[in-house]
Amino acid sequence: MESNKKYWKGLEELHKEPAFVENSKNEFAEPLPLEEVLNEAGLSTVAPRRDFLKALGFGLGAVTLAACQSSPVQTSIPYLVKPEEVVPGIPNYYTSTYNGHGVLVKTREGRPIKIEGNPNCIISQGRVDAQTQASVLDLYDVSRLHDPVLNGQKASWQAVDQFVKSALSNAQAGGKNIRIVAKTINSPSTKAVIADFTAKFPNTKLVQVDPVSYTGIIQANQNSFGKAALPHYRFDLADVIVSFGADFLGTWISPVEFTRQYVSNRSWDALKTKKMSRHIQFESGMTLTGTNADARIAIKPSEEGIALLNLYTALGGAVSGGKTLANNAKADKAIMLAARELAAAKGRALVVSGSNDVSVQILVNSINSLLGSYGTTIDLDNASYQYAGNDAEFVELINEMKRGMVDAVFFINSNPAYDFVNPKEFTDALAKVKLRVSFADRKNETAAHCNVIAPANHYLEAWGDSNPLEGYYTLVQPTINPVYNTRTIEEGFLIWSDNAVKDYYQYVRNNWEKTVLAQTGKDWKGLLQTGSVSTGAKSGGAYAFNRELGSVAQTIVNKSNALAKGGDNVVELSLYQSVALRDGHNANNPWLQELPDPVSKVTWDNFVAINPIHAEKLGIVEFDLVTLKKGNLSITLPVLYQPGQAMGTVSVALGYGRTAAGKAGNEVGQNAYPFIDFVNGTFQGVAAVTLEKAGGARELAQTQTHHSFEGRNVVRETTLKDYLKDHYAGSGKKADHKKYDLWYDHENPGHNWVMAIDLNACTGCGACVVACNAENNIPVVGRDEVRRRREMHWIRIDRYYTFNEDGKTVTEEREIDDLKNMENVSVVHQPMLCQHCEHAPCETVCPVLATVHSTEGLNHMAYNRCVGTRYCANNCPYKVRRFNWFNYWNDSRFDNYMNNEFTQLVLNPDVTTRFRGVMEKCSMCIQRIQSGKLQAKLERRPVRDGEIQTACQQTCPGNAIIFGDVNDPKSAVAKALLSERTYYVLEEIGTQPGIGYQVKVRNTEAATAEA
Amino acid sequence: MSAHHESILREPLITGDNITYAKITNDVLDPVENKPNKAWWIGFTIAAIGALIWVVAVSYTFWTGIGAWGLNKTVGWAWDITGFVWWVGIGHAGTLISAILLLFRQNWRNSINRSAEAMTIFAVICAATYVVSHMGRPWLAYFCLPLPNQFGSLWVNFNSPLIWDVFAISTYFSVSLVFWYTGLLPDIASIRDRATGLRRRIYSILSFGWNGSVKTWQRFESVSLILAGVSTPLVLSVHTIVSMDFATSLEPGWHTTIFPPYFVAGAIFSGFAMVQTLLLVVRKVMGFENYITMFHIESMNKIILVTGSIVGVAYLTEFFIAWYSGSEYEQYTFLNRFIGPYWWAGCMMYGCNVLMTQLMWFKKIRTSIPASWALSIVVNIGMWFERFVIIVISLHRDYIPSSWAMFYPTVVDAAVFIGSIGVFFTLFLLFLRVLPAIAMAEVKLLLKGASHQAKKKLIAENKVDPEQVQYYKQSLVKFDSVPEAETV
Repeated sequence: MESNKKYWKGLEELHKEPAFVENSKNEFAEPLPLEEVLNEAGLSTVAPRRDFLKALGFGLGAVTLAACQSSPVQTSIPYLVKPEEVVPGIPNYYTSTYNGHGVLVKTREGRPIKIEGNPNCIISQGRVDAQTQASVLDLYDVSRLHDPVLNGQKASWQAVDQFVKSALSNAQAGGKNIRIVAKTINSPSTKAVIADFTAKFPNTKLVQVDPVSYTGIIQANQNSFGKAALPHYRFDLADVIVSFGADFLGTWISPVEFTRQYVSNRSWDALKTKKMSRHIQFESGMTLTGTNADARIAIKPSEEGIALLNLYTALGGAVSGGKTLANNAKADKAIMLAARELAAAKGRALVVSGSNDVSVQILVNSINSLLGSYGTTIDLDNASYQYAGNDAEFVELINEMKRGMVDAVFFINSNPAYDFVNPKEFTDALAKVKLRVSFADRKNETAAHCNVIAPANHYLEAWGDSNPLEGYYTLVQPTINPVYNTRTIEEGFLIWSDNAVKDYYQYVRNNWEKTVLAQTGKDWKGLLQTGSVSTGAKSGGAYAFNRELGSVAQTIVNKSNALAKGGDNVVELSLYQSVALRDGHNANNPWLQELPDPVSKVTWDNFVAINPIHAEKLGIVEFDLVTLKKGNLSITLPVLYQPGQAMGTVSVALGYGRTAAGKAGNEVGQNAYPFIDFVNGTFQGVAAVTLEKAGGARELAQTQTHHSFEGRNVVRETTLKDYLKDHYAGSGKKADHKKYDLWYDHENPGHNWVMAIDLNACTGCGACVVACNAENNIPVVGRDEVRRRREMHWIRIDRYYTFNEDGKTVTEEREIDDLKNMENVSVVHQPMLCQHCEHAPCETVCPVLATVHSTEGLNHMAYNRCVGTRYCANNCPYKVRRFNWFNYWNDSRFDNYMNNEFTQLVLNPDVTTRFRGVMEKCSMCIQRIQSGKLQAKLERRPVRDGEIQTACQQTCPGNAIIFGDVNDPKSAVAKALLSERTYYVLEEIGTQPGIGYQVKVRNTEAATAEA
Repeated sequence: MSAHHESILREPLITGDNITYAKITNDVLDPVENKPNKAWWIGFTIAAIGALIWVVAVSYTFWTGIGAWGLNKTVGWAWDITGFVWWVGIGHAGTLISAILLLFRQNWRNSINRSAEAMTIFAVICAATYVVSHMGRPWLAYFCLPLPNQFGSLWVNFNSPLIWDVFAISTYFSVSLVFWYTGLLPDIASIRDRATGLRRRIYSILSFGWNGSVKTWQRFESVSLILAGVSTPLVLSVHTIVSMDFATSLEPGWHTTIFPPYFVAGAIFSGFAMVQTLLLVVRKVMGFENYITMFHIESMNKIILVTGSIVGVAYLTEFFIAWYSGSEYEQYTFLNRFIGPYWWAGCMMYGCNVLMTQLMWFKKIRTSIPASWALSIVVNIGMWFERFVIIVISLHRDYIPSSWAMFYPTVVDAAVFIGSIGVFFTLFLLFLRVLPAIAMAEVKLLLKGASHQAKKKLIAENKVDPEQVQYYKQSLVKFDSVPEAETV
């Protein structure tokens, strides 16, 4: 081909006419009329007056108009010089640690937006709980302090440092004590920093205190085996688990880990091997763990110790003081039967108690020792350092402060003015201390009484580490510059103690390189990538229990008698942590406030849980306000009917009633911490209180108000015995009947995304709900809107009670009303989300085709097209569609969520926020599917099974959710759906849901069931 | 339309002595040509306040979002669609009277068709306001129209009953409007002929140059017949399609094949009740007793009785089918209407619509004006509850018990509904002031054949059988409002 094509401009050029050739030599082919212009009117023109005025007028007007527009100030900086590791639109993941759990932090363009479990973490194994999921929102919390505070005034760090240093040297000079009050610290580097600090100021002592204390277990182990530590429990190795009030799936010590262990013995894989553990729960209030138990026996707090004594005796232990539970024949019998089952499973049995009473825990140790649990289901060599608080030390500190022996006190993650039993006593004592430093990230209840607030970095802004288990070390690494003017706690101590290393990053690194890295031969960079190091488990030693239990039994009996003193309107109160808020330190997190309590489904409040029959006897109706009184203490809370609550008892959640938590967390519920008793050296959450009607009522905001499934087969369950006889028991799948269909089938030629949810693996903890909130920018709507039944959660956990009376199960409303006993309930949790029906009822009714079917088996929602007729939601049999009643994410009336420029930074840029008037629902994390497919395409390979995980699946501690492509017969989900236990909710109405549930199996066959 | 002599056995459609064409014109145009009386002003003030409440309530909803209403995740429609269906139902009597009764040559319709048609149009307007205001994003309501757009194949969902609704309601509205206006032409011309100045100019334009020639009349008659033919299927189709909003869904309590006939019967039922409510008042206040007689009232009551009974049978059928279906969801839904938390709403529905209308079997009640009026109000209330029961009671407890919820209306819900009644009455009262409330031209057609005068004349001329005269006299005794018996 001719490479030098010639184009001619005209025939003159083509024919090379002489005139043209001549002219083409000049720069301009034709002469320019320059002269004319310059000589004539061009330059000598006088602008006429009118033209001048016109131009002037226009100019003035235009400038005025232009000045009227306030041009927006752009605060974003384009990546003119792009950081090498940041690609807009591609997330970066960093390893870090929250609360001892290894996590992966997803950042987009420098903003952390989502927390996921680190699969390398031996505790979480890639799964995290609701608190961890929600922790990213705290980073952008506007209620955090934006600057350090000195004597109530905003101050600079220099001023703060100067003030603290001089106060410290004064204290040192005066020979006064310096105290550091902290929630359990298991960070080796922090401990080293404090050690360095102590070296400089030898009067320093670290006092660890946890709002919800495990001192009882730690001291019992000291007493029984000479080792003051929390053991590492192994629920996965236990075939028979008996728990006395320990909510190990919800809040007790390490729920994520325990959930994984527990479920591993009960769900898919265990059932395949025809095995399932047996779980018996004795408790007063209905806990998350109680809802999952195979047998649950309601006992009063006063009966707990006696029950344990009886269990000990039944197992062959010799102790005086045991007596029958005269008023609770059912529990008495159940104890005997539980003893039989435990004895049959020696070495594979585990007894735990949620009590913080040293005596009770010593008794539990003795029982576990009888059962041969040490070295098998209880690992005391590889102890857990998740809690190390010592209650007595803290109480002693208050006495010290009262006596004026303390000149400086530091609070690390500790808020005694809120969570100590007697806040007044504490603040009065605190007033006598000269230097009071709080590291709280906000002006919380304690910080308000401090003269220095040195706001700490959020963990996503800080370096740090953690040693949650013996031999297991994890690293905290920052993923963003501090959002506000805050500083790492340890840096303060380094500066104040004039440490040689003032940069905490350097300090942590040095510390690791000196210790763990040197020990394991790993390097820092590798550590940053994996996030944790395990130095290997120590081999177990045998722990033999050989103590006399006489005094222990006596203490238990005395305490039981004290609790059960009886009297008019006296009830036994048991305090518990709610699964959502735990001890209340993150009360300002709206995701957690709006996470329904897994049992009561209440959001944004705590309440007095009472058995409906008991309430009826007291003449109390649900939501009535009642006052609980103990001495001078009283709190007034609404009543919640709680089936399964032991008669004569009430339960109240801790962690509420914050007064200085922030916009979202203030004045939510009432503070129940003062009801804790300090007895025999530990804080104990049980008390005898009087209950009185306070007059008036307050409606609780519940996401579910009907609590039984009316005998409908939306929930299907069976027993282990029936399941082993016939694997199809419960699912009814065998009776394969002919299917009729009005509609054409959709073709799903490529992928067909579906889900399998094992009801046996779901404990109902709600981590998925918060994970979904974070992933999909789901708005928080607040208490009033939840009361109006307008919460926006795309995934919810339906919780149904089945009442068992006289060997009959009762689920229908009218029959429930006639029940005489509401202690015997069994519970089922069912995650419910968009079922992505093949024949989706929502799709046919949408007038504008805003919700349509994809070729990959998904039900899409096009927000831009939606006009908001809500017809789809009405026609959805699963009621999973959520309507934006208001502009929740940007409306001043919903001020506890996103109505500020900081919190909006947490939004996932891959998911659009929805305007009011638009319907939304679970998309099966379409953005994750897309990015997974893109990644596979870039790498020119098919999508691998398990590569794409939905947010709910990713976080589920029980691994209850499996998502994948059913077109791939080898995929995990395809295999799971082939299970005999699979059924589809409402399959009979022909919607052809894309989510298959696996029938719940209960191991109720053993003798306790008949009790 | 027909001017032939009517049998003496039939009750007269126009009563009173000395009725002339001129008197009819004078009587009917009296409110149009004179200053309104105090009663009108009181009524109009109340109605206008209602309309204002509607404006405020709907504006507030538009400004803040549908959250201003009491709806929730489970109950996505409540007072909005209840109001919509209620108004559409009310809008059914007009076209039935103008079209179907015209085709069946029911001359008694001539006195009531004008007001009934006006009522239809205003009711459909009220219904249409709900269609738009219940949307989450009403500014995008045009998405529901199959308009050509720059998105290429982005079309509406022709599977969706809501789209059928859009077509059904808009067709019904436009045909009703044309039919009504065509009927108005000769009457507007009458006003024009009697008016002066600006009024004359306006009515002149509105009358489309009606000149009263034979040709004009002939064309008028043909157009009326054609439009009657066009409207007749619409009477049946509109509420059929509205019922399909529910019938084609999956919700127990909605998913019912009986809905189309049941809804159409219910619509005619409620439409006639509303005509009764309005005309009993208009007749009294405006002195139309000679044109809207007890015969009219009784005829309408009979229609109410028949359609009410049809509705009753439909209710029974629903219960039978729910039991017979063996579907627990279906059974629960119907049981829930009596034993659920909304049992009182269920009782209102069945009580008002079925039990109360059965009173119409008694001629005494049927021909009593106060009783008729009271019962018409009862039917209006009952039919509102019918829609509330179908919509809210079905939705609030459907398949998955965890989502069961209650619906509590807000002030805004109530304000929108009360406001829509205000809008309706504002329009109706304005109509009474500017257009003839009775189709004069059509009533005049009856004067020579079906009026009491004409019949009296026949009797006086001894052209009829005395036995029949006796029957005629007896039948007149039954009338309460016009003491005709003496005048024969």
